[in-house]
Amino acid sequence: MDIIGLFPTWYEPGVGSGWVVGMIATAHVLFSHTSVGAAIFFAVLATIAYSNNKPEYLEYIKKYGLFLLVFSYVLGSITGPGIWYSTTVASPRGISSLIHSFVWKWATEWVFFIIEVVGVYMVVYLVGKVDQRTHLRITWIFGLASYTTMLIIIGILSFMMWPGKEAWFIEGGYLNGFYGSNTFAQLAMRTFFMMSITAVVGSIVLSRFKEDDLRRELSRYMAIMGLVSTIAGASLFSWYLTTLPDYAHLVMENRLPDYFVPALLSVVGGMLVYFLALLFKPRMITTTFASLATVYLLVFGLWPEEVARESIRKPYVSGQYVYSNQVIARDVPGLNIHSEIPILEKVGLVKAHPFIPDNLREVTPDNVLEVGHVVALSMCSNCHSLSETGIRPIMNYFGGNTDVKAIKHYLLGALATGNTLYMPKIPLKDNEAEALAVYLASMTDMKVAEQWKLKASALAQAKTGE
Amino acid sequence: MEAEVLNALRDPAGLPMHPLVFLVLGVLTFALHIAAVQLMLGATGLTLWGSLSKDAHKRQLASTMLGVGKVMLSVAIVIGVAPLLFVQVIYDPFWYTSNLLSAWWVIGFIVILSVGYILMYAYYWMNGDLANPKQSVKCPGSLLASVVLLLVVGFIMHALTNQMLSPDLWMQWYAPEGKLDTSGTQLHSYNLWRFAFFISLSVPVTGAFLIAMRRFFRVRADADHAYLDWVGALGLKWVTFGGVISVIVAAFWMMGLEGKQAEFATSPWMLVSLVALLGFVAYATWVWNQQRDSMHSYMVLPVGAVALIIVAAAREALRWSVLVGQFGFDVMGYPLNIDWYSTLLFFITFAVLGGGVLSYLLTVAWQAGQTVGQYTPSATVVRMGHIALSLIVLWIVHFFAIGFYVWMQ
Repeated sequence: MDIIGLFPTWYEPGVGSGWVVGMIATAHVLFSHTSVGAAIFFAVLATIAYSNNKPEYLEYIKKYGLFLLVFSYVLGSITGPGIWYSTTVASPRGISSLIHSFVWKWATEWVFFIIEVVGVYMVVYLVGKVDQRTHLRITWIFGLASYTTMLIIIGILSFMMWPGKEAWFIEGGYLNGFYGSNTFAQLAMRTFFMMSITAVVGSIVLSRFKEDDLRRELSRYMAIMGLVSTIAGASLFSWYLTTLPDYAHLVMENRLPDYFVPALLSVVGGMLVYFLALLFKPRMITTTFASLATVYLLVFGLWPEEVARESIRKPYVSGQYVYSNQVIARDVPGLNIHSEIPILEKVGLVKAHPFIPDNLREVTPDNVLEVGHVVALSMCSNCHSLSETGIRPIMNYFGGNTDVKAIKHYLLGALATGNTLYMPKIPLKDNEAEALAVYLASMTDMKVAEQWKLKASALAQAKTGE
Repeated sequence: MEAEVLNALRDPAGLPMHPLVFLVLGVLTFALHIAAVQLMLGATGLTLWGSLSKDAHKRQLASTMLGVGKVMLSVAIVIGVAPLLFVQVIYDPFWYTSNLLSAWWVIGFIVILSVGYILMYAYYWMNGDLANPKQSVKCPGSLLASVVLLLVVGFIMHALTNQMLSPDLWMQWYAPEGKLDTSGTQLHSYNLWRFAFFISLSVPVTGAFLIAMRRFFRVRADADHAYLDWVGALGLKWVTFGGVISVIVAAFWMMGLEGKQAEFATSPWMLVSLVALLGFVAYATWVWNQQRDSMHSYMVLPVGAVALIIVAAAREALRWSVLVGQFGFDVMGYPLNIDWYSTLLFFITFAVLGGGVLSYLLTVAWQAGQTVGQYTPSATVVRMGHIALSLIVLWIVHFFAIGFYVWMQ
């Protein structure tokens, strides 16, 4: 049976399913990085508080902790599984490949999540209710457990881009997939940026403090942490770039949006200025200012970073073997995974896809437009909106061309052979390419389909007449 | 949908351990998750009930239960990650298809849950002195809205789970009359009795919690015994009334099963789980009447947990009987790529590190909760703390040691 494991498609015409995932993931990065960074910061600050007899610092830990209970432990803990949910409906085989390779790693992270959740409530609510040493120990347990969640997820995120070691394709094995130079470079870079984010978000809480001396002292800690982390994170970004394969650099040069570099530079520069202000003029940092800085960080720092991570792994969505259109693109002998390209070449998409209605499994003059639409939904819509809005609208790539023959020629010549940078190989049968071409041309001119239908019927009649 | 197609939808990466392991973990973690959900719902319901009263006991209980509901929602979310993980591992063809067919509801789940949770917090912030009966309650509508939204997210999960059980209807839902519907705006299948059964269990679960809570607080030097006895008596009412209602609702659920699920109605799994629930009710009644001041009062919680695990096993048996028995899904034949390192790492982390650290944290929380004034742990508890911290440090060292070794290879 020549069936491949493709699922139904969820098509969101407004912004596109990819952006829905992107928005949830970006928000989650803010919440979760703040959570982990703050947990470590709490441990250090509690140590200073208890060693230097500064119980007032604990008040800050308590207030920041209460803020985190909503910011990170409501919104963060919901958007975390939220990434699973949204990728499930936007890229089911992408998330499935990660789940199946790293189920135990995620289960291990879950153990630390539980410790983290129990820990944060205890750190916040037991201030002054348990002796100092016990509270300090709990704070360190919370901080370190929180950081382990970062250690675990980083390897999975790295695998999503590139398996840790090339040997993974041949030998398989969790360790080969998880660990690689990109894993450690990303971990180092994220750790520092995470502390920067913690300092920015923490300044929102700090801005509510009325007592000047305490506010100034804590601002100094936050500012120094922010400055050091931002400079270190930016420096480590260079190391991170060296761990990317040549192909990723090629994509970055050609495909990243123009705003990417200016946006990141403005965020790094803006954060340095912000932390200097926090250091020398802490009263300047009002709640509104600090909140706006957090939003700026989210929109101009984390969003482009997520977009870039999404872009440079294309045409793959996971492990360099699952295409963004969900087709398994290559053999992975280490896991006994076989490419699905040969099946598509043999029988075509409409025959191999289990969720194509029977009336669309043969291309006829009557259903050509529908078949073209179904092919576009299955093979294109993950990355290209089929409407005028949303992510990379597909009609923009054909410049208003209504020449079915020319479009088909491109589809079979460049796409079906896998000769387009950044695009997956999409082996279309001749009639599928024709149907897709009719559909794409019809996006500009609805009459194309009717004309094609008449032409096809006339040809069929002529053949019958012969 | 033919068995061959369902099996083709399995992930080609296979599983790192035998599917039975994931099946068992799925049942156990679902039971824990649903217990937290039920306690959260029951606690929030009690908060609402108590908030609307001027009675001192009810207001005191409302104040305590608001804290319990808030923490339990957090616990329910974090524990819920595990069954969500395991269902994707072995039932991926069904879970992913069901989600895709109702994609907007899946996204809505995230938004609605966030709003519901924030509304609960909003109520908490607005009513800092809820225990004081002289204080008027502000905006109880926010808590009511929170409960309603949390029930909606529960219903979405229920529908997604129910849709998994009907692969024969998937194409009908996805392509009615041959026309694709890729909007994901519909919830296609639900069973109100099944949903009502799992929600109704909130009542006995919360009742059991109240009985244990009474025992916990009565050892404090400042305990208000009249209030605590009232709480315990209320707990028993909730266990008995709620337990019997749940069994009746479950009977309606079984009687209403249709299609491929109908055969399960007389399954011994369901009968055993209903007997377990009644056994739990009987045990709680005995404890209250005979042993309310002994450690048995705490035992109602583990006994209730066992009953819930049996219910979770029955739920799994229903899914198994339909997907494997009726539709021929070959879960036991899932391709394997055994990975011993990650498997052992999880179980060691779970049992040794998780067990050690949580034992320490919960011991401190427990003893601090029973202490008036500042709590100072005994030498044994301090030693537990050292071990807990060392275990995490050791885990981190191991992470980098293995990682650098693999990287340098």
